[in-house]
Order: sequence, then C-alpha cells, then structure tokens
Amino acid sequence: MATEADSTDDIDWRSEASAVEMSRRERLREFGRRWVYEPAVIAWADMRTRIGLLILSVYGLMALVEVFGLWRNPGTNQADPLLKPFETMQFPLGTTRSGVDLLALIIDSTPFMLLMVLAGGVWATGIAVLVGTISGYKGGTVDNAITSISDFFMAIPGLPLVIVLAVALKPENPIFLGVILTINYWAGLGRSIRSQVLSIRESSYIEAARTMGTSTPRIILKDVLPNIMPYVMVNFVLAARYTIFAAVGLYFLGVLPYTGQNWGVTLNYGYEKGGLLTMEAFHWLLVPIVAIVGLTFGLILVSQGLDRVFNPQVRTRLTGESESIEEENETTTTGMM
Amino acid sequence: MSTDSAAGNRAASDEGVDDPILEIDDANVTYNDGETYVLNDASVSIDRREILGIVGESGSGKSMFASALLDAVPDPGVLSGQIRYHRNDGSTVDVLELSDEELRQFRWEEVSMVFQGAMSSFNPTMKIRTHFTETLKTHDRSVSEGIDFARGLLENLYLEPDRVLDSYPHELSGGMQQRALIALSMVLNPEVLVMDEPTAALDLLMQRSILQLLDDLQSMYDLTIVFITHDLPLVASLADRMAIIYAFQFAEIGPRDSIIGDSAHPYTRKLLNATPNIDAPLVEMQPIDGEGPAPVNVPSGCRFHPRCSLATEKCRAEDPQLDVFDEFDTDHRAACHHWQEAREEIPLNAGKASDWYDASDMADRTTNTQQSKTDGQPLLSLTNVDVHFTKEQGLLERFSGDPDTVRAVDDVSLDIQEQDLVCLLGESGCGKTTLGKTMIGLQRPTGGSVEYRGQDIWTADGSDSTISHDEIRSALQIIHQDPGSALNPNRRIVDILSEPLRHTHPNASTNECRSRIYSLLERVGMTPPEDFIDRYPHQLSGGEQQRVVLARALLMNPNAILADEAISAVDVSLRIEIMDLMLELQSEFDTSFLFISHDLSNARYFAEHGDGRIAVMYLGEIVEIGSAERLIHDPRHPYTEVLRWATPNLDLDAMEADDPPIREIDVPDPVDPPSGCRFHTRCPVAREVCRKEQPELQEINDGDGKAACFREHPDHEYWDSEPVEGAQRRNEPPN
Repeated sequence: MATEADSTDDIDWRSEASAVEMSRRERLREFGRRWVYEPAVIAWADMRTRIGLLILSVYGLMALVEVFGLWRNPGTNQADPLLKPFETMQFPLGTTRSGVDLLALIIDSTPFMLLMVLAGGVWATGIAVLVGTISGYKGGTVDNAITSISDFFMAIPGLPLVIVLAVALKPENPIFLGVILTINYWAGLGRSIRSQVLSIRESSYIEAARTMGTSTPRIILKDVLPNIMPYVMVNFVLAARYTIFAAVGLYFLGVLPYTGQNWGVTLNYGYEKGGLLTMEAFHWLLVPIVAIVGLTFGLILVSQGLDRVFNPQVRTRLTGESESIEEENETTTTGMM
Repeated sequence: MSTDSAAGNRAASDEGVDDPILEIDDANVTYNDGETYVLNDASVSIDRREILGIVGESGSGKSMFASALLDAVPDPGVLSGQIRYHRNDGSTVDVLELSDEELRQFRWEEVSMVFQGAMSSFNPTMKIRTHFTETLKTHDRSVSEGIDFARGLLENLYLEPDRVLDSYPHELSGGMQQRALIALSMVLNPEVLVMDEPTAALDLLMQRSILQLLDDLQSMYDLTIVFITHDLPLVASLADRMAIIYAFQFAEIGPRDSIIGDSAHPYTRKLLNATPNIDAPLVEMQPIDGEGPAPVNVPSGCRFHPRCSLATEKCRAEDPQLDVFDEFDTDHRAACHHWQEAREEIPLNAGKASDWYDASDMADRTTNTQQSKTDGQPLLSLTNVDVHFTKEQGLLERFSGDPDTVRAVDDVSLDIQEQDLVCLLGESGCGKTTLGKTMIGLQRPTGGSVEYRGQDIWTADGSDSTISHDEIRSALQIIHQDPGSALNPNRRIVDILSEPLRHTHPNASTNECRSRIYSLLERVGMTPPEDFIDRYPHQLSGGEQQRVVLARALLMNPNAILADEAISAVDVSLRIEIMDLMLELQSEFDTSFLFISHDLSNARYFAEHGDGRIAVMYLGEIVEIGSAERLIHDPRHPYTEVLRWATPNLDLDAMEADDPPIREIDVPDPVDPPSGCRFHTRCPVAREVCRKEQPELQEINDGDGKAACFREHPDHEYWDSEPVEGAQRRNEPPN
C-alpha cells in the first residue's frame, strides 16, 4: 500500500474498522462542522457574543443601506433645522442647524468607518502576531533584532507621530487611514505576545513537534498560534477601538482631511454650534457619540465571548461531544488534585 | 447515605482505637447541590500518636479527605457529617461547628497541613525566616522562642538552621524546601500533621529520607500523622495503620501488616500486585484493568465492580458497607461482599522470593546477549560527552571572575545498540534528562560527540555526511513525562497523529493516513479508534493520553525512543500496563528504548523484560551500569546500594527501614562538585583517597557491566587509606 520504503512492512496497517474510509463529501461535511457549525454554536451560546453580534449586525445593515443607496444622502436644507429625534418619523434622529438629516450623516460614513476600523485592527494585530511569535519562538539573534526594532517604535510618542503623518500624507482612503492611525500600535502588542509565546515554546508538545522535524512556520501556525488566539482576539478589538477613538479624535481636532461629514466631523460641528451648551442642539452631539460607543461596545462583547471559541473544553461541552467524560465537574477535579 | 449504616460504621470504627484524637463520622463532600459526591460516607477514627497512611489513585477523593479534616473544602464543595477533635486535656470540639476565628486557631495550632509542591506554598519574595515569624505573629506566639524551636526542628530535619532561615525559597533544592515546609507546619507544635502527597514531587531517595525523618519527628514531638499518598509501598514503611480509598469511599482500613500481608478487598490486593517492586517475580505483576470512575458517573453497587474479577450480581446491586468482616480481626475493616474469595482467588506477590540469583550464571547470560548485540555498529554512540550550562550572571558578577558552570553531564561515554534498552537511573538533578536529550539530539553537547550509525548528529548535512539530518531527526523520538502537556490542547487526536505521517509518508492520501492511525490506535489499546479520533486531549484519561503520545512517536518509525519518566504521571494501577505496551511495541517496531527513571523498581521492570541495562547516574557521571538483576542483587557502587535502599518494598519483614546507607541527604551543588570521587561526600565507605582520586568506570569482576569505584580493585590503595570523617570502616577487600 505504501509507495515509500517502509521499515515496518510486517505490521498490518489496515484497520478492521469500517469507518476508516471517508468520502470527499464526508470530509467536506466534517470541515464545515468543525470550522463553521461548532464556532457558531459556541459563540451563540454566550449572552455577550449574542448581544455583541446583534449590535454589530446593526452597523453591517447600515453599511449595506449605504452601499445600495436605500436611504437619502445627506444634504443641506433637507428638512427644518434642529429637529429633535423622533419629532417626525421622516427624520428619526433629527437634523442639524443647516437642516441635514443626522441619520443620513451617520449612515453615509458607516462603510468608511468600518473599513478603517477593520484595517487598523488587522494591521496592528497582524504585524504584532507575526513579530511576537517569530521573536518569541526563534529567540537568540532574531529575537534581539526584533525586540530592538519594536523598542524603537515603542519609544516614539504615538499621537504626535500619527498627527505628523496625517498632515504630511493626507490619507483619504479608509484602509490607508486605518494603517496610519495604528502605525506603531503593533510594537507594544508584539512584545506581550512574545512573552506569551516564550512560555508556550517551553512546553513538551512543542518539543515533541520539533523532535519530529516539523518546520518552524508550521509549529508556529499549528501549535503556538491556537493557544494565544483568545489573547489575540481581545487585542484585535482593543486595536480596533483605538482606531475609532484616534480617528474620531483627529477628525474632531480637524487634523485629518475629509470630503463628506463623518462621525468625528459631525461631533466637531455639533460641539462648535453649541451642542454642549443648549438643549436645542444636544442631540447633534449625542447621535455620533452613540454611534461610536455602540460600535466599540459591540466589538468588546464579541471579543469577550469569542475567547470561548478557542477553548477546546468549552467547545466539546457545548457541541455535545463530552458525554460522560469529566467535564461537568471541572470545579471538583481542580479541588481534588 | 442512610443513617443506620453510619451508626454501624461508628461502632466499627472505634474498634482498635483506644484514644482517638480525631473521629470522623459519615463525612460527605458534595458538589452540584449534593448530586456529585467527591467524598462519600467517610468514617474513621485516628488514634493519638499513630501514623495513618491513606492510599488512593489520583482523583479518588483522598485530598478531599485531607481538606475535610481541617474543614477547608474548596468552594463550592459542601462538607457534611461530624469531625470531632479530642484535645489533650480531654475536651472535645466538633470541627465543623467552629467559628471562623476558632477555626483559624485550630488550623496550624492543633492540626496543620503540609501540601504537595513546596515551591507554591512558599512566597518567593519572602525569606524562609519571614515565613516563620509571620506564622508565629499571626498566632500571637513569641517570635524569639518560636524561632528557637524552629531551629531545633530544622536541625532534626538535617538542615543548617542559619543558612536555611536566611535563604529565599528558590535558593533551596526541592528536598530542602519540602523539609523547611514540614518545619514550618510544625512551628506551633501542633498535635496532628496532615500531609497531602508531601513528597510526590521529589525523587525516591529524598522521599525515603524524608519519611525516615518523619518517623523520628513523630516520636520526638508526639505527633499524630495522617499521610496521604498514591504510593502504597512508600507509606507502608512508615504507617501504623493504613486506609485504602477508592472512588471517594474507603475500601479498606486496618493495621499496616494486615493490609499489606492479608488484605481483604480485591482492589487492595490487585493494587499490591500491580505495584512494581524489586523483590516480586516479574511475571506475577498484573495491571488492574480499567480506570477509576469520575465523580459524575460512579457505578452503582460496589464501586469497584466494573474492574473486579470477582464481581457478582450482588456487587452490582448492593453497595457493601465498610465493616469488620472477621470477628477475630476487629481492627480490620473492608467494604467487600466477597472478601473470603478475594483472599483465595487473588494471591499476593510480595513475600514470594524472586528467582535465586546466581552471579556467574547471570554474567554468562548477559555477556551472551550483550555479545550478540555488540556485533556491528552501535545505533547511537556517545564519546566523552559533556554538557555544561553557564549560569546567567548579574551585571556585577560579570566583572568578577569566571561564570558559574553547571556540569549537567560530564565525560559520559555510552553505546546503544540496535533494539537495545537502557534505563538511566538517578536522583533529580543528576543530569539524566540532559543526557537523554543529548542522545536524541535535542541538546547540543558542549564537548565530545554523539554519533548515529557512525554519523555525528551535529555535523549531519555537512559535506562528508552519510546520513541526512532529517533522517536522524525522525529516527530519534521522545515521550515526555506528563502526557497532558505533551499534547497540544487545541488539536484533535487525528490532527496530532497526522503530524508524524506528514513526515514519514508525505504522499499518502488522507484515507491511507487515517487507516494507519486507526490501526495503530487499535494496537495501543484504544478501541474502537473512531471513538477517540475526534476527541481533544482533555477528553482522554491520563493513561489514554500516554498511549496517544506513544502512538505519535511510533508513527515516525523511529530507531530510538527516549521515554523521560514516561510513566510517573500515570496512575499506579496502570503503570505496568503502559510499560508492557512499550515493551511489546519495542520488539514489534524494532526500536531502541532509553528509559529515564528515578525509581529502581520501574527501571528493573523495564530492563529485565526488555533484556536491557540500567545505567546509574550521579552528578553528571555514570557510576555503574549493568543488568537489572545484577544491580539489584549485587550492587557494586555504594550509590547503587543507596538507590536500592530507597526503593520501597512490600516485604513485611524487610519493611522496618534501617538507617539510610548514606551520610548526607542532600546532593552537593553541581556548580561546585566534590573533588575526587563525586560521591565521597555522601558515601558511607569513603576513604581519604576518594577525596583526591577519581575512579574510572571499569568492567567489574565476575559480573556483567561496569562500575566506577575503587572498591572493585582488591589491591587499590583505597584499602590502606583512612576512612573519612563519619564513614564506617567496613569490610575488607574481596579476595
């Protein structure tokens, strides 16, 4: 059966079990179960993820509405100035002083914001994971070089750097903007991922993988990464949150260039036109704030719930595989050992 | 359960105990609102000044019993029942009814506890002295008097009081820490000492030495000791009475001699037979089938019936009560319906003498086998291998003098043949793991060479290499000590086992890989394989995990496997089974085995069944090597004798342990090893010449193997040299 020379030919490798053969279809189903069905069940079982996902889907819906042009575009004198929220259902979130529909403003910039947040999060955590795992796992000279570089980046004050870059590069593309905003976020995160990897690489299963001659990238991918995934997920959300706050802050300060109004710019106008001082314009300030806080909150809830997806114990318990194996008594066994 | 039975038990438990200090009645610990019992109907009385040994497998509820004695069951466990403590002055308290403040005083002052793993019991940022003073202050005792008392304790534990008190925990070795912890638990002069696996993390020699000290302390300070362990032979040498715990219930309680020599419960008898031991004939050692139940699915009726060969319908239906079964032996209680059959059907191994050992015969036999094996090129060949580690230095130390070097392995030469079996035996810190990892190319030696079939491992892939590095890498595999941490918790068994196949059969189809995995899982006893293949490691028991690790190593088609203490994390009742499996697979897969152990009885089982050798290591050197039979019956190096002494034994006559044949309990610092023979600081027969000259590892006379001791040479100047201080002037040269 084997094509290669096999020093253990005298052993019968064929199993009597009938379930050995797996058709392509079964394998596909197995793949789906493992990567789609199970994570979904676990994520949904947690209250936090459920609420988080609902919140995020509202933003997704808003982005879709904008993409397909299902809601009017913002424009001046669409309505009476400074309508209160829910005063007329035609403009549910009210209007600005110049009669722009606030809901239209929020919806208009949702795809931009989401793209930027995603880019910022992916960039920051992606680089940090790459740098952290390689320097933590390889050690030695590679580690020294990488840590020195990230030390350098950590030493540069983040906000001034971003302001200078923003002024110099005038980023208008949301993805480019997201990357600029988190330009040195990876350094600190990479450092903490490295320290996690340091402890994992000493574990016996990594040594066993090395003994088998498994290549370094594969060990990092299969043995190291899944074990730091919960930590990475939480930090992805923190980086995304940082991106929103940084962007909104810089728009508010007027550092970043813009063509249309987005959440940060709306916040700025609302503030300048007296949103803090008069009750008349208060909703002008409140609406973008709720939009920002809601997105952050949704992200945080999802990340908190998601770390359970990467926990094999929770995974087996919730997908009903554990049967009689010591699962339900986690508390008791830890107490006894 | 029912109150009637509790009353019955109470009456029974009082038998044989004249002056109880602790009476435990019907103690239960439950979780999940009383659904899950992790301690069930425990009723036992503990006599004043006795040593009670409690034996159970991991997860049998024995630690829960210890916590219950101090009313310290971890939340959310609920403890019910009665635990009465009788003070010296005759007054009695119920421990479960004490207020928090009274309980605080009761713990440590009346009953104190020593836990497993001293490292986590000490605060690493505080000196040992601070631990003592804090404890004294918390209990409103005089610090100066207390410290004086502590000094006495430390001295009785063979520690230097000043040095230990002024050290931080990490500056002490594991054995010293554990002894300091025992002193700390006794500083308030408690009446009862509850010890939960106090020596489990230590090697055998240190365990035995500590037990010896405990025996002395017990009589010196009038202590009552409750000693909880999974290691039956270990506690047998110390205990006055023993209790066997199985699946959260006591299975048998009685005087030590009756439990060891005439036990009535099938579990005890099987456990005794499953324990590797250096006297019993090898063929008689039998593993117990199956594993202990988890608290959530305890079998109905007698809890042992699924694993018991004598089980009948009655056992399945009716839970036997722990009771006196023999009116002539009222101290001895067992929970079995069929104790008479048990005694008849399950004969005990211990006490049967091993085959008569004939040195010359053995020498012939092993030289023959060695001869046949030495033909041709060795599989692995170590020549003058050194592994030295340089200690990390502080900034200031860098400017002053040489760095400290730990000589983990020092000038070791060893050949391993094809299909050979070598056990490395020694105390922790003797360099056996480092040597093992050097042999399979996981640790780069700082000197000497390691050759695989004539090719230096570390220059493979060079210009003149005959064997590629990849080939060597896959030929040398490892099995780790703790199977739980040797398997990635995030991967399923099928993924874990596919990994080696990616290397050995890169072109195999998925189905072919699966069929290989299935057949090997069947072979290592995990049937049916489809039940296991999609599980995560945490869904397997310890024994099953170790089988998966073994299967993973075998799928690489290795020529040599390093098994680093591979069975010490497995339950006692399963050890023999795993060892047998390894041995069977060794012959089936034509591999060599390097087995690392600190336990002579396990090494013996391996070496004798696999017809291999045992190499005894001390401070980075091999001091003796030979067949198991020869090492046990005719040890030539004094250190081998020490290890032989340290190996617990189930022979009642030999059990009253004599003093250790050793002068110092602690191993010298490997940074600064003793001059001459490294063992001379502890050797009971060391002489002046041993301080200066280092003995070579040489073939011994009339026996197989080699030893590094001057006593092997009848005309060596050793015999005219003066004994060093404390060493005995013992026997004369062999003629």
